[in-house]
Amino acid sequence: MAKNLKGIEVAEIISDKCIGCQICVAECPVGAIEMKGGVACIDPEICIGCGKCFEVCPVEAVRFEKERREDAVTKPEETQKDIYADYRGVAVFIEVWNGGGASVSWELTGKARELAGKLQTKVIGLLAGHEVDGVAGEAIAYGCDEVHIIDDPLLKVYLSRSYGKALSDLCQKVKPEIVLVGATPVGRDLASVVATTIGTGLTADCTGLDIDEEKRLLLMTRPTFGGNIMATIFCEHHRPQMSTVRPKVFALCPRDEGRKGDVHRYPLEPPHGELPEIVEFVRHVADEGTADITRFPALVVAGKGACDPESAPMLQELADVVGGVVACSRPVVEAGFMPYERQVGQTGKTVAPKLYFAIGVSGAVQHLVGMQGSEKIVAVNSDPSAPIFNIATAGILGDYRQVVPLLIEELRKKLKGG
Amino acid sequence: MNVICCLKQVPNTAEVKIDPETNTLIRAGVESITNPYDTVALEAGLIIKDKYGGTVTAISMGPPQAEEILREAIALGADEGILLSDRAFAGADTLATSYTLAKAIQQLERPAPVDLVLCGKQAIDGDTAQVGPGIATRLGYGQFTYVAEIREIDEAKRRITVKRKVEGGFEVIRGPLPAVLTVELDLAKPRRASLPRLIYSLRTGITLWNAETIHGDPQRLGLKGSPTWVKKIFSPPLKQGGPVFDARKEPRRAVEDCLNILLADEMFAWHFLKRWER
Ligand SMILES: Cc1cc2nc3c(=O)[nH]c(=O)nc-3n(C[C@H](O)[C@H](O)[C@H](O)COP(=O)(O)OP(=O)(O)OC[C@H]3O[C@@H](n4cnc5c(N)ncnc54)[C@H](O)[C@@H]3O)c2cc1C
Ligand SMILES: Cc1cc2nc3c(=O)[nH]c(=O)nc-3n(C[C@H](O)[C@H](O)[C@H](O)COP(=O)(O)OP(=O)(O)OC[C@H]3O[C@@H](n4cnc5c(N)ncnc54)[C@H](O)[C@@H]3O)c2cc1C
Repeated sequence: MAKNLKGIEVAEIISDKCIGCQICVAECPVGAIEMKGGVACIDPEICIGCGKCFEVCPVEAVRFEKERREDAVTKPEETQKDIYADYRGVAVFIEVWNGGGASVSWELTGKARELAGKLQTKVIGLLAGHEVDGVAGEAIAYGCDEVHIIDDPLLKVYLSRSYGKALSDLCQKVKPEIVLVGATPVGRDLASVVATTIGTGLTADCTGLDIDEEKRLLLMTRPTFGGNIMATIFCEHHRPQMSTVRPKVFALCPRDEGRKGDVHRYPLEPPHGELPEIVEFVRHVADEGTADITRFPALVVAGKGACDPESAPMLQELADVVGGVVACSRPVVEAGFMPYERQVGQTGKTVAPKLYFAIGVSGAVQHLVGMQGSEKIVAVNSDPSAPIFNIATAGILGDYRQVVPLLIEELRKKLKGG
Repeated sequence: MNVICCLKQVPNTAEVKIDPETNTLIRAGVESITNPYDTVALEAGLIIKDKYGGTVTAISMGPPQAEEILREAIALGADEGILLSDRAFAGADTLATSYTLAKAIQQLERPAPVDLVLCGKQAIDGDTAQVGPGIATRLGYGQFTYVAEIREIDEAKRRITVKRKVEGGFEVIRGPLPAVLTVELDLAKPRRASLPRLIYSLRTGITLWNAETIHGDPQRLGLKGSPTWVKKIFSPPLKQGGPVFDARKEPRRAVEDCLNILLADEMFAWHFLKRWER
């Protein structure tokens, strides 16, 4: 145990455990803690050995001799509960895409049903757009008990300000306790506007959502430090609890056309100030290497081990055989061999195809976070200790240049026979 | 043009590794850098200054150490660097971060109206992409995220036209100033500092602002003003892999065995053989 010059037993930061959340810096009564290189650092001569940092650290990164006093961290919750009694229901922002609901919205509706079950409450669809009645019907079929709509010609195109106003107003009128938003370009742009407008917390890119039933808390888990560590985040003292979730993280639930639900409509209160105008929209051309890899049932993914222009036709052929497209890991994009739109992983796209071929992909965490949800994973790799084998449904150890042509041949046989 | 660039100092996450034995982060030797997206935001600001004149002010909220990145910004051509540093700012989530930055920008609006606030699309450590939209919302400025190109600035009409990445393509959008832009990496390629600027930057003072300077409400700053709290961390669970077949001796056999495992799941095989038809 470390003592300072005054002989006081002081606290120490275990820097390898510190995640840099700064809670201890904020809570230290004497200002003895400072951030250095992304890690908290205690000045032993200022430290008075009170143990506050030890008590508040969420990750046990403080070394201190005293017993952890649990009561020190608990806040007055009794009074809070009453305030939040007005907030009920798990809401999903329903994003409209090409006239229908974006599939991520339905994935979230399915998850919302599970969360609402634990809270014994309802699932609410929040919908903004123009002429979106059909989407409201879909929302009910996918599991919403209520759909609240602001339908206005102004909402025909997405603009941060008009949608921000519409969704903030809906949240304030409907008062859901939870709001889930798909982490699409629109959802990420919008969610922060809404959270800031209503002054509540927003957790980004969650991969896990659960409920503390007693406290009616949403436990939001998201990958950090390049997917090496999962952090669970709470929003205890504000409502609604908001979170964005990437597409394909949760499974799409089946729809039930027989479901019934209520639809409520509200007028749009026009946002302040002048709105921008969209001058032009340029759609990606699919065959320019910008196909949306998240929409295909099968992917053939080239890693650095298969990053060779000569192999491209072979991989493309395998993709054609299995009814999919080619995609890749980050080094392949960096090598200029495939466009960024084809990259799978933390800084690329999250995908969950039915069939995922990993060809010469080692299986780094940053890659895995983007494809773990795939139904079947087949790995081809020449290194028996490649981590990709730990998550593959089945693996083939060998040189892909030999294996892939055989795969094509054998798959063709099966397809003919079946 | 009066441009403000928001810069965040981040650990170079590409270097943060995990110790598989103890499941902790290996921090030793990890350097602090300017968030790569923010170096692009700064470059965009400098290009605007080169073209239209005016000033570029770099601001950052962080510990005293973050002064380094502001000095770097000055070396590259920023006119002033302002460090928002105060214990009261510590532990800020994105709501409190955007509050603090917006309050600072309001101070900067006093002498002359602000035209543009440039942010990175996201910070590589926190990775939320929430701060830029938060600032725009608080200030009532226009909001343009994922900007890949600044097409035109019409100073007389106070209009900006940008190209932004959206689902399925690009959109070109025009709107009034002042505005907050969050920028993509391909917007601009950061320049290098010239030697005279480098020397100049070492002699220039960095302006230090605290909670009082920005007239921040203590209840809305730092940890106190942050609704979200990290409660615990854990390592991602490892999945158990299926069988691996050695193709080095009998390649065809290995491929057959592998496909048999794959197609042993009847529902999956059915979908596969129908080529994923519904
Ligand atoms: C912040 C951050 C974000 C990142 N984001 C992403 C991301 O979004 N997506 C991503 O993919 N990566 C990302 N990375 C990079 C990631 O850490 C890995 O470096 C990367 O995924 C490795 O790609 P790879 O598996 O293709 O290459 P390698 O790790 O080099 O693996 C190549 C594999 O090919 C095998 N091989 C070689 N030759 C053959 C052969 N002839 N036949 C069969 N197998 C062969 C080797 O055994 C090896 O396993 C990120 C990293 C950081 C720090
Ligand atoms: C493990 C962990 C998880 C977290 N998860 C969340 C979460 O889900 N939700 C949440 O609200 N907070 C979260 N935080 C807190 C968050 O990281 C901080 O609020 C951080 O200050 C800003 O968020 P960001 O890094 O995501 O920035 P982003 O929003 O990604 O940054 C976008 C841009 O804003 C500007 N900017 C951001 N911060 C600063 C700054 N300090 N100074 C100047 N410019 C800046 C830069 O231009 C930057 O490019 C988390 C923190 C930790 C440690």
